[in-house]
Amino acid sequence: MTFLQPWVLVALPLVALPLIIHLINQRRFQTVRWAAMQFLLAAKALSRGYSRLRHWLIMALRMAAVAAVILAVGRPLSRGWLALAGGGRPDSAIVILDRSPSMQAVATAGGESKLDTGRRQLADSLATLRAGRVLVLSDPAKGPEEVASPAEIVELVSAGPVAAASDLPALLQSGYDFIRENAAGTTELWICSDQRANDWKPDDGAWGGIRDAFAKLPQQVRVQLLSYAAPAPGNVAVRASNVRLETVGRDRRLVVTVAVSRQDDGGRLTLPVKFEIGGISTAVDVELTGREAVLKNHVIPLERSAAARGWGRVSIPADANLADNDFFFAYDAPPPRRSLVVAEDPAAGRVLELVAAIAPDKAVALVDLVPPGGLAAAAWDEAAALFWQGPLPEGRDAELVQAFLGRGGQVVFFAPDRPTTAEFVGCAWSEWTAPAKPATAESWRTDQDLLANTLAGSALPLGDVEIRRSCGLSGDLVPLASLPGGAPLVARASRAEGVTFVATTPAPRDSSLAAEGVVLYALVQRAIDRGLTVLGGARQADAGTATAENARACGTWTRQGGAAASTEAGFHAGVFACGDRLVAVNRPVAEDTALPVADERIDALFRGLSFQRITGTAGDTDSIVQEIWRAFLIAMLLALVAEGLLSLPRPAAADRAAKTSRPLEAAA
Amino acid sequence: MFTDRQPRSFLDPAVLARLAAVPLLARRPMVGTVSGRHASPHRGSSVEFAEYRKYVPGDDLRRLDWRAFGRSDRHYVKEYEADTNLRLCLVLDTSGSMEFTSGGVTKIEYARRICGALGYLASQQGDAVGITCVAGGIVRTLPPRRSPAHLRLVFDVLEEAKPAGPTRLPEVLHEIAETTRQRAVVAIVSDLFCEPETLATAFSHLRFRRHDVAAFHLLDPQELAFQFQRPTRFLDMEGGGAIFADPIDITDRYHRAMEAYLANLRRVVLESAVDYHRVVTDQPYEQVLARFLVGRAAGRGLR
Repeated sequence: MTFLQPWVLVALPLVALPLIIHLINQRRFQTVRWAAMQFLLAAKALSRGYSRLRHWLIMALRMAAVAAVILAVGRPLSRGWLALAGGGRPDSAIVILDRSPSMQAVATAGGESKLDTGRRQLADSLATLRAGRVLVLSDPAKGPEEVASPAEIVELVSAGPVAAASDLPALLQSGYDFIRENAAGTTELWICSDQRANDWKPDDGAWGGIRDAFAKLPQQVRVQLLSYAAPAPGNVAVRASNVRLETVGRDRRLVVTVAVSRQDDGGRLTLPVKFEIGGISTAVDVELTGREAVLKNHVIPLERSAAARGWGRVSIPADANLADNDFFFAYDAPPPRRSLVVAEDPAAGRVLELVAAIAPDKAVALVDLVPPGGLAAAAWDEAAALFWQGPLPEGRDAELVQAFLGRGGQVVFFAPDRPTTAEFVGCAWSEWTAPAKPATAESWRTDQDLLANTLAGSALPLGDVEIRRSCGLSGDLVPLASLPGGAPLVARASRAEGVTFVATTPAPRDSSLAAEGVVLYALVQRAIDRGLTVLGGARQADAGTATAENARACGTWTRQGGAAASTEAGFHAGVFACGDRLVAVNRPVAEDTALPVADERIDALFRGLSFQRITGTAGDTDSIVQEIWRAFLIAMLLALVAEGLLSLPRPAAADRAAKTSRPLEAAA
Repeated sequence: MFTDRQPRSFLDPAVLARLAAVPLLARRPMVGTVSGRHASPHRGSSVEFAEYRKYVPGDDLRRLDWRAFGRSDRHYVKEYEADTNLRLCLVLDTSGSMEFTSGGVTKIEYARRICGALGYLASQQGDAVGITCVAGGIVRTLPPRRSPAHLRLVFDVLEEAKPAGPTRLPEVLHEIAETTRQRAVVAIVSDLFCEPETLATAFSHLRFRRHDVAAFHLLDPQELAFQFQRPTRFLDMEGGGAIFADPIDITDRYHRAMEAYLANLRRVVLESAVDYHRVVTDQPYEQVLARFLVGRAAGRGLR
């Protein structure tokens, strides 16, 4: 329980006043010479059960009445179900809003969403608490935004829903930075969230640092989590993937893979999935029996006159969460499969050139073999991937490669003949190792990345590849395949997207990658496919900070369809024109699949801090904080009435006293 | 009669004058030594006809009813009721508890007034008056006598009675029953703070001896109401120990104990045919005595 005037609680020892008066009264006894001792002795011998109970009940009720008066004067506030916590009026209140699509869920059809409920309840509560400053923190990059009054939280545009996932560690870090630099005195952090794992990132290493930082703050900081973790009943999400434009003769058609998913095991459900492309709608029924149903390679014929570039939307009927009922996609004629090969070893270069040049479909694959000095003249803008065998780039070369990575290109580094001390994205080659007997990969990741299993589920035959010698790797790496002893064979750089290292070369003296060509072919073609996703006139993007940065870099970020106009470019779902490209922005895939983080896990994240969790429900009309002094006054009155009733002589005793005091009149 | 002494504090001439209008009568025949106004178990020479009896040689010929002889040709002797005097034995409780008062008159003072008035009324109608002061035993006793000088002695005893010591009323009543050979009116003035069962045997003993027992049960208003506001240490006025009690805690049970005691006592006096009067000391004693006398006058004629 929190009090608006906690200093009044100093008077709580007055609760003992009735007891003290009783004890003083006991000491102030009178002495009386008494004749009828035999009745006193008899009274002492009689059972004292009820009298003693009544006596103590009266005492307890008097103490309760005093306590109720003191507590009422302290202006108590109820939080949730009268959760117990210390605190009073905060100097600053920072509202951290989880605005992710999952917060758009409603409890009942047509009801208020979790985010709207949270904003309203927080506005009411902070108005009651009369916090000195109220700040809203919804974007870690922008930091907290001060509002004139708590009621503005409901209306604030930057507190509205977005399609991007939230980053709670980053938001808390931003809140910490603000408190450290600005806020003085008691600060309350109000987090409004549904505890989804993709928003909270409980495994993120930053949590420990954030917790320690808050604990070391000189100000008193209380963290209040307004949790709406209850799942949205019957909610189904739709998502499209692998959208490609195919041309068959003179006809064009769009091939789309659609997945509908839900987080609970409901019964059989037939969903009409609606496609809207260029103003023309088509629909197809998808039957959902488990948690997910996939409509693979659904073909949508396009008009012959239709442009090669366009966008569309796939949607399902409204349910408990409107934010995951639409998915936007953009399409364009597939770009050429151009890749760049830089190799100091001609043998390795030939192999890489050959592998990159064989496209998996009928598309033309172009490979530019770039000499070491000709990087500046390479067709960077048209290339999807760069295969580099040689010392890591430095200087101008490094800048070019970084720029290529920055626009979404993929780079695969193969081991150089003579490793140097050069570093790239925090990684460096070390010495070669040549085992007496050729080694094979001991383990590799089959679930994702370049060495993942095939779509049919078959593993790549990496175990058949002989590694005759391997080059050491150091730096921030995520191993994708490891040699015996744990040395990485294939690894991904953790500091930058799209950088992969292979600790050997396709040259026959180093490995049998060329001879056992399947693994090398899959690795190279998958890297090219990844790079192609950012080429061409259409691309998919997840709403969030990265897309927002791209939108800013774009210069012109024009809405084509979907979301309403907003100042938060890149955070809302829709189709946008970025220069001559179409970008379909949607919620991240984790928003559809992530489960709530367990309460115990959340508690552990805030261990050592003043933390309280209040469970809310979407559409809940009650305020989470309200003054309850009236309840205490009523309790005091009830206690006094009960005390009065108990203090009254019992009717039988009163009659008896009346009879015995006037026997003659009674007899008459 | 008070010319040679100071007026007694417990006697109010006005009250006595008003009470003298109602005679003090016994509820059962008395065996007196002289003629009086009380019924006797024997035939006597009063004007009230009793019965006819066959003449036997030796009877006084003056009592022969010649009219009856003329009608029946048989000799009958006409008998009349005998009126005699009574013995009034006042039993005054002088135990320590009789000194109690909650602000008004003490119980002993109240008892003096009752005893003094009864003694005076009895003496005025020619009855013998005696007194026995009772505490742990018989403290002082005067046998019943008819003379006014004896009444003065009785008043002296009343005046000098000092409450002290425990109550052994039942034992003393047994002793009185044994020692008072002739029928008497035994008027007990006490707070009766002893077990009703022990009193029952004493009352039965007196009844067996054909005594007319009357009991004035004196109670202080505070003893009935037990209205205390503060924790109190109660000192026993009869020399027992002290008891510390919180009135909030004990009042209810005190009332229950008092109620049980009074109910038992009522049963005992009903079974023993005791003329019982519960008296609260804030009531006028004149009213109590008037009720007592009138009640007895209503039962006149019993022989």
